[in-house]
Amino acid sequence: MLTLRTSRFSLLTLLFLGIVTSFSSLHATVDDALSFAYEAALPYYKQYAIRKDAWGGDLGPGDKQAITTQLFKGNDYWFLMASDVPKASISVHLYDSNGKLVESESWQKMNEKKHFSSAGAHIIPKSTGTYFAIVQIIRSPEERTHWALVYGYKDVK
Amino acid sequence: MASFCKTLYKRGKSNTSSLVLACLLVGLFFFSFGSAKADQPPASINLSDFPAASVQDVVVPVPSEIFAVLDKLGNPNWKAQLRLGKTRNPSDRGQVALLLGSVIAEGFIAVEAEDTERVKDLGRDVLTLADAINVRKSVIARSKSIIEKADQRDWRGVRAEFDGALQDVRSAMDEMNDENLAQLVSLGGWLRGTDTLTAIVNDNYTVSGAELLHQPELVHYFERCIHTMPTRMRKNLLVVRINDVLHQIAPIIDEKGKNITREKVQKIHTLTSDIVAKINSNS
Repeated sequence: MLTLRTSRFSLLTLLFLGIVTSFSSLHATVDDALSFAYEAALPYYKQYAIRKDAWGGDLGPGDKQAITTQLFKGNDYWFLMASDVPKASISVHLYDSNGKLVESESWQKMNEKKHFSSAGAHIIPKSTGTYFAIVQIIRSPEERTHWALVYGYKDVK
Repeated sequence: MASFCKTLYKRGKSNTSSLVLACLLVGLFFFSFGSAKADQPPASINLSDFPAASVQDVVVPVPSEIFAVLDKLGNPNWKAQLRLGKTRNPSDRGQVALLLGSVIAEGFIAVEAEDTERVKDLGRDVLTLADAINVRKSVIARSKSIIEKADQRDWRGVRAEFDGALQDVRSAMDEMNDENLAQLVSLGGWLRGTDTLTAIVNDNYTVSGAELLHQPELVHYFERCIHTMPTRMRKNLLVVRINDVLHQIAPIIDEKGKNITREKVQKIHTLTSDIVAKINSNS
């Protein structure tokens, strides 16, 4: 009886610890992706106002997600994405409401030394309206890869 | 690739290791080329291929994103756009949230008008209204900073603080699971911003000025927000009226390829101006 109680207790403890561990690691990865997105935005802070609001989630290799944005003609925007999986290859690209690629430049980086991967896309919209940032996990060693996207803006002088 | 390896093999030392090395190098070249090519985005995509679940909602632009553009619309009479009445503190939490958003947008107009005293008043109003919906702590520093920076006439700094106040209030509400109130704050700000934008565009109409109103997804987003609110909030008289205003605005600004005419700008102005007056009223 005692053995049974002990094993039940151990099982429950392990289950509880397991839940706590997976919960905290889940949050850690989402938070990490967001921190890395802000880190990827660091070179832009001097010129651009980087929004506190962010998008994020997790995707499998090859998966894409569309993010709806309202952009204004007369502003200049950088969208910056990051993942906490350093060997993941990720991308963000910008399309207008007709599905036409409209970014003026984009980049992708794998920062293995800094333990994250990042990507960016730049646009100076020619018209005010709805745009879509398409984020993609191109390749990743993980089954699900957490990602976060932030953006910064400035007015075109 | 095999023939290319063979050529290298003939030119180089005829041993197996050279051939293997050459093939590896060529393979590496093709591999790198392949992965770089994989990162090339398609020139066009079919947005309808994205299932609804894989499309994330629009993030509401902060006022300074819009006001930065408004700065370029000539030299509007910003003082004429200011609402000068004393800000009330309604008992209804939904109305307080809407009013808070409206007051923050008002702060931007006062900055444009370079009206130091009005900016300081609005900085204090932000704190009072935030207190009424239990998010005072999140904006104490912002309110103080707005007043200090207004005294220094640091208008860029004041704008950043109002933007920050809006984001801090919304974050605090989200943390308290008050997402619906957070959405009302954004909605109140958007309505007051649109009220002003339409007044300015109407005063000096240009097609490019009117184009700033082309925000269809944002209007649909607010409609969806109201639709998913709890029944009690959705049936709040003010929220019902706002929903009606959004339904009337949506088709005006959602006509693809068509300019937003002066008459349409005027119609949006009448609708938003009336509803902003109601948000600011005691009823």
